Amino acid sequence: MKKRLLGLLLAVMVVFTFSFTACGGSDKSSDSDSDSKDSGKKTVNVWAWDETFNIKAVEEAKKVYSSDDYDVKVVTMSQDDIVQKLNTSLASGSTDGLPEIVLIEDYRIQGYLTSYPDAFADLSSIVDEDAFSPYKFAVNKVDDKIYGVPFDSGVTGFFYRTDYLGDAGYDDAALQDITWDEFLEIGKAVKEKTGHALFSLNPSDLGLVRAIMQSAGTWYNAEDGETITIDNNPALAYGINIYAQFLKDGIVEQVADWDGGVNAVQSGSVAGSPQGCWYSSTITGADDQSGKWRIAPLPKIANDAKATHSSSIGGAGWYVIKGLPGEENAIDFLDNTFASSTDLMATLATEIGLVSTMKAAADTAPYQEANEFYSGQKVLEDFSKLSTGVPEVNYGQNTYVIESVMAEYVQQIIDGKDVDKVLKEAQKQVEAQVAN
Amino acid sequence: MNKLSNAIKYVVLSIAAFVSIFPFLWMIMGTTNETRDIVSGKIKIGGKFLINMKTLFENDLDFPKALVNSAVIAVLTTVFALLLSSMAGYGFEIFKSKGRERIFNVMLLSMMVPFAAMMIPLYRMFTKLNQIQIGSVKLSTYFGINSLFVVIVPSVATAFLIFLFRQNIKAFPKDLVEAARIDGLGEWEIFARIYMPTAKNTYAAAAIITFMSSWNNYLWPLVALQSPEKRTVPLILSAMGASYTPDYGMMMCGIVIATLPIALIFFILQKQFVAGMMGSVKG
Amino acid sequence: MRKTKKRVWIGTGNDFITLPLILITILVFVPMIMALITAFQSGPPLNMKFNGFGNFARMLTDSTFKKAFGNTFLYLIVQVPIMLFLALVFSSMLNDTKLKFRGFFRTALFLPCITSLVSYSLIMKTLFADAGLINQILGTQIHWLTDPVFAKILIIIAITWRWTGYNMIFYIAGMQNISPDIYEAADIDGATKTQQLFKITIPNLKPIILFTTITSTIGTLQLFDEVKNITNGGPANSTITLSHYIYNLSFNFGKPNFGYAAAVSFVIVICIVVLSLIQNKVVGNE
Repeated sequence: MKKRLLGLLLAVMVVFTFSFTACGGSDKSSDSDSDSKDSGKKTVNVWAWDETFNIKAVEEAKKVYSSDDYDVKVVTMSQDDIVQKLNTSLASGSTDGLPEIVLIEDYRIQGYLTSYPDAFADLSSIVDEDAFSPYKFAVNKVDDKIYGVPFDSGVTGFFYRTDYLGDAGYDDAALQDITWDEFLEIGKAVKEKTGHALFSLNPSDLGLVRAIMQSAGTWYNAEDGETITIDNNPALAYGINIYAQFLKDGIVEQVADWDGGVNAVQSGSVAGSPQGCWYSSTITGADDQSGKWRIAPLPKIANDAKATHSSSIGGAGWYVIKGLPGEENAIDFLDNTFASSTDLMATLATEIGLVSTMKAAADTAPYQEANEFYSGQKVLEDFSKLSTGVPEVNYGQNTYVIESVMAEYVQQIIDGKDVDKVLKEAQKQVEAQVAN
Repeated sequence: MNKLSNAIKYVVLSIAAFVSIFPFLWMIMGTTNETRDIVSGKIKIGGKFLINMKTLFENDLDFPKALVNSAVIAVLTTVFALLLSSMAGYGFEIFKSKGRERIFNVMLLSMMVPFAAMMIPLYRMFTKLNQIQIGSVKLSTYFGINSLFVVIVPSVATAFLIFLFRQNIKAFPKDLVEAARIDGLGEWEIFARIYMPTAKNTYAAAAIITFMSSWNNYLWPLVALQSPEKRTVPLILSAMGASYTPDYGMMMCGIVIATLPIALIFFILQKQFVAGMMGSVKG
Repeated sequence: MRKTKKRVWIGTGNDFITLPLILITILVFVPMIMALITAFQSGPPLNMKFNGFGNFARMLTDSTFKKAFGNTFLYLIVQVPIMLFLALVFSSMLNDTKLKFRGFFRTALFLPCITSLVSYSLIMKTLFADAGLINQILGTQIHWLTDPVFAKILIIIAITWRWTGYNMIFYIAGMQNISPDIYEAADIDGATKTQQLFKITIPNLKPIILFTTITSTIGTLQLFDEVKNITNGGPANSTITLSHYIYNLSFNFGKPNFGYAAAVSFVIVICIVVLSLIQNKVVGNE
């Protein structure tokens, strides 16, 4: 009898192991219960992060266009959560629980499109390639098919407090056309004279290094998106060195997460923030600081012929998950809003300070307006001008995998190791990481 | 000498008690303050309690729904886990045989399997359920991934609980079973009528352990529950902490509410809990 | 025929254990075998291919893996002994029946383990913020969350706070089984309390100490919730654990690598088995 029990257990084990490993997800469940709500009206779910920016954008889009066939429901989720949920669902070949529309950062989308070739809907029919900034199509296209509606630009600038920099003896002109080395000196002076850190840095987030790299047209990988170019990459070496220097000299405030950085700005403890233009909605979130802020172009790399003041951090696009019952509705919604509506772009420019990647947006009225919060600066116009000069790079599929490794090596540089040596090692390490 | 060592004892215990309790005071205090005061470490009772509570319950994270989800999961898990593990523990101890003893030892090995190793296979296993359809009824709605069922099932039969019950049954007088058999009671009747009433302490200990770990479970729900309306309390709290601009006052309210049920159960069942644990260590 | 079968199956105990065993088999052992198979595969999740020992070879040169492995063992070697020692000390103090406020102390020390791992992690995060209360009390400006060394210390402090009381309960329960006469005899012989702790209490608690050591070891090797919610593995992976690395490999990057993640998870399995065997040997009897 004990044999019988053992036999039963073994049988269960064998049957389950085989039935679950053998058919490794070749089939795909095609619908979810998101449409079975009692009302009979379908729901198009949207996942996005940042309630001051992306979420508001969708809310505005709902005002611009509404259909009788479906409701649009937007859900706030941290980017980490979105990434994790997309991965868990898509990797299992199931779309249950996923939303129809999802916002995905430019750095990440190529990884998804190549790992899950069948997961996203082809949006070529609603997105006109000539209507948007060309660099967005380097990330959202595979084999001539467009999978995303380009949304915000990631064009960078240095947001700064005019009062703090003024106290340290720097006027607005002092921040124009400078190098990162000069910027470092400014940081030291600000710290010394006002006691404020120049900006906040999260040592695990290399956004600043990315921005410096891209400003000279290079990346962790070459144009093919695969060959790793960490060793012998002067722009990267320069960027990492500057990054480490900021941390070493204690002129930046160290924060542990995104919210720490937001807090540093809103509580007035830092003098500025080098970020993508989308950060504007966070800065303006502190109403009491109106009139105290301005935006300068980022400094540029010293002694590099290709160096520019233009770069990009972040930026994202809207993507539609294929195979959900609301797919058609989702495409219809994007078609009438983010893919075509200049009015929407104009509204968003005023409401959240969106620098759109839709070319026509730059001609709308808000782009010429002076912004009170930023001491009367024509912020959007300045950003648009800068964005035309952003060097195009191929982000490849591995930006964050690489960066997770790179962050460790940056620590070694902070600890005083030689930059070139460390980068040589990092090159090897990253190559091994992305190999399989 | 004795007095001195006694004094040291009280000092050490008082410090330890203070350190243990302080974070609770901090979290309760936090419910009355706003983010700014909390991250700058201000010790004060603020006036923001009602506002924080209001944002917590009206936030689009849907905290009330998460409370319901967590409660359903924890209660069902506890009920089934207690039933199944006490059954198994009873079976292994009352009906000893070499074969079963061997199976028991193999089963104990499952305690050593880290969840991280099972997470991905489990996930893929349950997604298979999503594809099964009986008539017009889709299994996924109730049993597939993204359903509460998926979170409940992996915790209802655990080697640890079976072990705990078995250890406690060792002290249970086996003559009672023999006597009942002679009286003509069936095995299940003996289990339900004779054994179960005597094992209240074990059940209490097991209930606390199971309810607690289920209510607080984080990694598996994080992986298994996709849609926002299925999220449990720890998932919501974690999302609050990782959100773009977290509202710590609101978060502290959430933490306090999340802690209350466990605190309540613990204080009600404390005596039985300790007794049940003792039974498990005795054997 | 039917009757004999019934007697074989029902009433022999098998009917009590079958269902739980089937569940454990499906939900633990089957996934385990599937993970083992996956550990030898690589490629995109929906199209994985056999890869031999490639994943295991990769670990040898993977600096993040080494970091995660090192951190996990650091937590294990530093935190588990501290915690178990504190638990022993507190429980032997609380075992004194003449102690005043005994119930209060016991409840207070046990209290931390009613908090959920996510909750207390978030509380710790606010307490140890740069401008937070702990730095104010200490009068320091320690970057608890962003300094590679202090972040590790913070994780250790946090886990110790949460789990000491939990282990204490086991010891208290065990100590109540030790006859008070032994202590009285020792008192008469003039043995100090410390001597009694090492000569009487600890030897008598051996099996329980073994039990708590093994469960704490297993728990620490699987550490995830705290690290994810306090530091998120940062700064620059300097607090990352094996479980957290597995999570990152599976779900946190654009390209999930289940094969490699499964291989790393087997390292945890092997560690648990080896350490449990060693601990069993060290303590001696079962």
